[in-house]
Amino acid sequence: MSGGYRQQPGKSSAKRRDGKRVAGQQKFPPPGSGGSNPVMEPRDLNFIPESVGGKEPQPAGSHIHDRIRTGTVVGKPLQLVDSNAKVTGQAWYGDDIRLTNETIGKILRSPHHYAKIISIDTTRVEALPGVISVATGQDAPNRFGVLPVTKDEHAMSVEKVRHMGDLVACVCAETEAIAIEALALFDIEWEILEPVFDRKKGLEDVDEPIHWRGKYHLSRTNVQKRVFQEFGDRSLIENPHAASHGKWSMEGVHHGFTEPHAVVAHWDPNGRLQLYTPQQVPHYTHRALSTVLEVPMHQINVVRTFVGGGFGGKSDPFPHEMCAAILSRKSGRPVRITFDREEVYWINRGRHPSDIEVKMTADDAGRISGFDIDALIDGGGFASFGHVTSYYNGVLATAPYELGSFHYTGARVWTNKPASGAMRGHGAVNTRCAVEVGLDEMAEQMQVDPIDLRLANLLPPHSRTITGFRITSNGMREALEKVREGSDWDNKFRKLPLGKGIGVGCGFFISGSGLPIHWDPNRFPHATVHIQVDMDGGVTVHTGAADIGQGSTTAVAQVVAEVLALPIEMIHVRSHESDTSPVDLGSYSSRVTFMNANAAIRAALEIREQILNAAWDMLGYHPNTLVLNDRRIYYKHDPSIGVSYLQALHKAQEDKGALIASGAYRSPPMGGVHKGAAAGLAPAYSFSSYVAEVDVDVELGLVKCTNVWAAHDCGKALNPLAVKGQIIGSCHMGLGQVLSEKMVYGRTGHLQNANLLEYKIPSIHEMPHVEPIIIESCDPEGPFGAKEAGEGPLLPILPAVVNAVYDAIGVRFRDLPLTPDVVFKGIEKKRKSLKLEDSLDLPSPRLEYGPMQEPLVLRAAEHKVRDKARQRTEDTSHYVNGVLFGFDPNIPLEDQVDGWKMATEPDPEQLAELGLAGKAWLKKTQREMGDDA
Amino acid sequence: MGEHVVGTEYVKMTPNAPKTIWQSKVNKKEVELLINSNAVLLDVLRDQVGTLGVKRGCDLGTCGCCTVMIDGEPRLSCLCLAGQVNGSDIITVEGLADGAHLAPIQACFAKFGGSQCGFCTPGFLVASQALLDSNPSPSNEEISEAIEGNLCRCTGYQQIVDSIQEAAKIHRGEIEPPKAASDPHPDPHPSGPGEPSMPPGHAK
Amino acid sequence: MLMPPFTLHHPSSIQEAISIASNIIADGETFDWVAGGTDVLPNYKWRINPKPHVISLANIPEAKQLSPYDIGCMTPLSQLTEVNGMHPLIVEAAGKIASSLIRKSATVGGNLCLDTRCFWYNQSEDWRRSIDWCHKADCGTGADCRVIPNQNTLCVATYQGDLAPNFMALGATITLISPDGERVIPLHDFYQLDGMKKNILKQGEFLLKVTLPSNAFELTGSYQKLRVRESWDFPEAGIAITWKKGDYKSLKIASTALESIPKLHHEQVDSINAEGWSKNESIMELAGLVRKSVKPVNNTSLPPNYRRSVVRVLTKRALKNIGCE
Repeated sequence: MSGGYRQQPGKSSAKRRDGKRVAGQQKFPPPGSGGSNPVMEPRDLNFIPESVGGKEPQPAGSHIHDRIRTGTVVGKPLQLVDSNAKVTGQAWYGDDIRLTNETIGKILRSPHHYAKIISIDTTRVEALPGVISVATGQDAPNRFGVLPVTKDEHAMSVEKVRHMGDLVACVCAETEAIAIEALALFDIEWEILEPVFDRKKGLEDVDEPIHWRGKYHLSRTNVQKRVFQEFGDRSLIENPHAASHGKWSMEGVHHGFTEPHAVVAHWDPNGRLQLYTPQQVPHYTHRALSTVLEVPMHQINVVRTFVGGGFGGKSDPFPHEMCAAILSRKSGRPVRITFDREEVYWINRGRHPSDIEVKMTADDAGRISGFDIDALIDGGGFASFGHVTSYYNGVLATAPYELGSFHYTGARVWTNKPASGAMRGHGAVNTRCAVEVGLDEMAEQMQVDPIDLRLANLLPPHSRTITGFRITSNGMREALEKVREGSDWDNKFRKLPLGKGIGVGCGFFISGSGLPIHWDPNRFPHATVHIQVDMDGGVTVHTGAADIGQGSTTAVAQVVAEVLALPIEMIHVRSHESDTSPVDLGSYSSRVTFMNANAAIRAALEIREQILNAAWDMLGYHPNTLVLNDRRIYYKHDPSIGVSYLQALHKAQEDKGALIASGAYRSPPMGGVHKGAAAGLAPAYSFSSYVAEVDVDVELGLVKCTNVWAAHDCGKALNPLAVKGQIIGSCHMGLGQVLSEKMVYGRTGHLQNANLLEYKIPSIHEMPHVEPIIIESCDPEGPFGAKEAGEGPLLPILPAVVNAVYDAIGVRFRDLPLTPDVVFKGIEKKRKSLKLEDSLDLPSPRLEYGPMQEPLVLRAAEHKVRDKARQRTEDTSHYVNGVLFGFDPNIPLEDQVDGWKMATEPDPEQLAELGLAGKAWLKKTQREMGDDA
Repeated sequence: MGEHVVGTEYVKMTPNAPKTIWQSKVNKKEVELLINSNAVLLDVLRDQVGTLGVKRGCDLGTCGCCTVMIDGEPRLSCLCLAGQVNGSDIITVEGLADGAHLAPIQACFAKFGGSQCGFCTPGFLVASQALLDSNPSPSNEEISEAIEGNLCRCTGYQQIVDSIQEAAKIHRGEIEPPKAASDPHPDPHPSGPGEPSMPPGHAK
Repeated sequence: MLMPPFTLHHPSSIQEAISIASNIIADGETFDWVAGGTDVLPNYKWRINPKPHVISLANIPEAKQLSPYDIGCMTPLSQLTEVNGMHPLIVEAAGKIASSLIRKSATVGGNLCLDTRCFWYNQSEDWRRSIDWCHKADCGTGADCRVIPNQNTLCVATYQGDLAPNFMALGATITLISPDGERVIPLHDFYQLDGMKKNILKQGEFLLKVTLPSNAFELTGSYQKLRVRESWDFPEAGIAITWKKGDYKSLKIASTALESIPKLHHEQVDSINAEGWSKNESIMELAGLVRKSVKPVNNTSLPPNYRRSVVRVLTKRALKNIGCE
């Protein structure tokens, strides 16, 4: 190795007999202060905000965490802390857990879409040599589910199977071959039931609903959840100046993570369950295991392996995790279950196939007077996260625009298909696409530029949406401006030749859910982080945050390093085991960086305080006058007066040994009081805007996206490399949904493309060049100002592409994905309607500005000034949705407007005119029908 | 549909196929194993050789997570009968690094965001290393072609292409190769610059 | 996915291969040939018609021969694009097959003998069981065809190979080896209209090599492939056209991925030639005739009416590409 490394001197004859020191023996400080860099890093003033003396330009206002920025790592593009493990093949994923004496588990799956299990005879299975243990639904009849309100899953089907591929029984054996053979030996008597595949049929009464909710069951339908929301002044939508009405049909899509589900369970000799699983939300698995296995939680250690992609698809507690545990409990040996790709699709939890109807109106001032959304979503066989999805499809469309009124009806129905659930952009993606395309259509009617229409209707920072969400920082305007400039929009929109098009779309997403899924005990924090610093100076961070590749571990290490001004390699994050990790609710709802990093900052601040107090003792200067630098603390008016980090640490450790601190994050109380007010509530929201360019092969109907300018407001990019990775990756996933991906259920209801060849995830050739643009609005609540960047960036790509396709060929599509046959059909229809011989003669849409263009531009310019002032000063004085329509924010809206509504149930006279999903409100619950069953 | 009993006519999975001796070089190490005649290379590598860095993603040739180099060519180990490559020279992701020194391609994937969840990474690394071995100055189009058989769901490929381009620069000697991952700390005690930098306005 | 058990044989000569095959047949057992394995292995992993024996062609020297005119069945598809001197049309077509990684393993022989595909068939055993099997893999149940119910006489699974139409349009011949000896036949006679039987290979027979005629390099060609993604995907429709520049009589059009076999469209060319060429009009008319002559069914990713519609566009583009006006 290169020079510079010196062996530490041993404890030798330190002193000569005459008492003088041995010549040349230097006095070394105690070993162990860290970092591989021999030279102390100076404070990087470029990463310290101007407001506290650094050089970093302030994007928007000062921030609560600014004063503790040390210029160490926050804001710098860093490699993920676990990336070396990944690039050497040493990262351990689910199927890489190989315990000695393991057995291989396999799951018997239903060959029927819907059937009652009359009996299961396992005699022949157990008789097969090499079979170790067998289990069926009767072994664990307790129900579980990710949401406490909809626990409707079993480890294995107890009374009936609800979709093809549903779990029926499981077996573990000495070898995989024996386990597979054993599956053929179950003797099962079925009673076949009439399956439901069509979500519209899910609204009808049937003999045997897929689940039964007792007195809460809606008549005898398969409706799992219905939602009604009506807010605002409904009189505003009368006599609209422009209106868009679109009925959308969106296919289900799957997360398509590369790592198939896998689990290893080991009931250890001490009677504790060790469960290794690639989980986004290990804590819920922990809870569900406890419920299903009827053992206390402390007797279970959930070990999160590396997660080979999650995107929401690994966030439910899964029945196969229960199966492995049951088999291990029975056999006393480790059990490993790894899915085939087909099984991954059968467990699904992908995006809901949806029918979405959007009606929107604008008034003669170009204000959006109404959003009416109706969303019927296909939940498949189980509830999963669907209760929440039912809300998200509506409520997450209420921003970033100021609305005159909002009306939403949603229903989620069970069908005999694999369960839908949460997927990146949970619940917001489909309606967002419909809404943004509708805005484009209205802009066209008004003869205005769609970007100007949006800019003139944005909610400002520090405002409240129509349903009462608290918006803090808001970088929407800047995002739109940046993509407009970057894409050269003004010279391209409605000016490109046939086949070439450009389109815009915006997005709005939650940064953590305001209320945790589990409320008990009531005051439990969302995230807790422990930090421990021992005499060696290394900092160990214990967190339950599940890194699924997005870099949450890195984010936690970064914020701790930033607060303590230590090199990042001195921060060791331990996040894999529930035994050593405090509870974290997991990686969903884009909550993990926001909440976990906030908790980590709290804990790190406590450590910082202890170290600074020690330095105060040693130096005699108050901590307020001390500066933390890389492994050194000094007096800010005279840098030569200082102590090393290790000296201060050891001083702080006198009498108590290791320093230990705990930090927690809990979102503040906020939001409305109406039913469902908690859905979509978040401590902060992200905003994004994309412009996409497409090439359409007009003869074949093939759409190729060539360029994307993608601006995302993530508050503050803790790690710009990771944020850009999330933005580009989101584009890829969203492009899949808009252009090629769909779960195909054929005429028999079978999933026809349960493999990666036929489920068409874009390859590198389909990937456009993406220009990621990071917008930093510096959120007052986020860790160092950060908000989410993992899910929101997916939303705008879909409408941007659909709008760009319209710009290219003048055809509006409302069926996703835009596979070539769909586009071809649309082009042919248009060609025939124009009586053209050749589709190459189709006219391209063009724009002549109408009279509204100028007033909108003026209003946008005024609002820009308004927004800047609010963002800079953190003016949190009232701005509520409605001010644009002339309402006084200081008086409750309902006191100002006669017709101001805030309803969560339809009026009887409204029932007749509700949309498709709204029809669920025509049904009565069993309780209302007088049946308390 | 009516009554339906599961459990007849399944394809038999036992008894095992006859055993055969398999000798190859895996990551420069001679390996001699007794394998089933029908064994697939991916299974042999994961279950018998123990190179768990070779990943099973789709098992049907689409995802590319199982890519290994066989006699210098990147191949899908899930669609390769072990018996057909008996006696060959196999390099997996574990064989890319030079001791504690990450190969340039590995260091660049880490540094430039080419790896997020990391599951597809081993396959990408092997495919890109094979490309760089034969072409140290690939164009973006050539890179695209070389990794078109690898599926990444996280990165959108863009940062992967960046990573490969950077690694190519190292291969061409234009920039310094990365330091070894396990270099001992040269000096655990930082000796700072003469005077630590200070916030402006607070100079002595 | 676990591979069903079989014994893998590695003959190192044609004679040995034939004798292994004969012995297996004599024992009353069955086997499959395997070259690169990229088509056979997925089917085996799905447990579609696995056999107790598999004979590898990998060690047979004659199978690995490669020259611009003689292409052995074991030639990896990647070699077609990497080795100098191959026919430009073959280079073009090979470069569009699946992904670069698959092309490293997949072979010319395997591509020509590709099993026909159908989404009722290319599924796992559990899946196929749940639809009570299908005509092509009926597990002895005599199951009906799932694509076109109530007809279990003909399998309509789709042939989705890319090379065949191109070799056919170049007038290639193939050499087949069996215990009865060697036979050389035109490639277009190789395929047999039935998704089950696919081709005329007899029991124990294999395709050793494909040979281009001596005039092949005088022909210019173009291959138009429809697919959703530019990697991985099988063709949803494919049109290969060759001609000797300026000689309308020499036009050869072959299609793939539209029916159970790839096929040549002589009649359509002849009928246009009989009328005499008149530039664009003839192109459009010929393209329309080719479109009418194919009848795709609903068993691939894209709907059949669309696949049929685009045949016109693909034919037109191929004709324009080769300079036929």
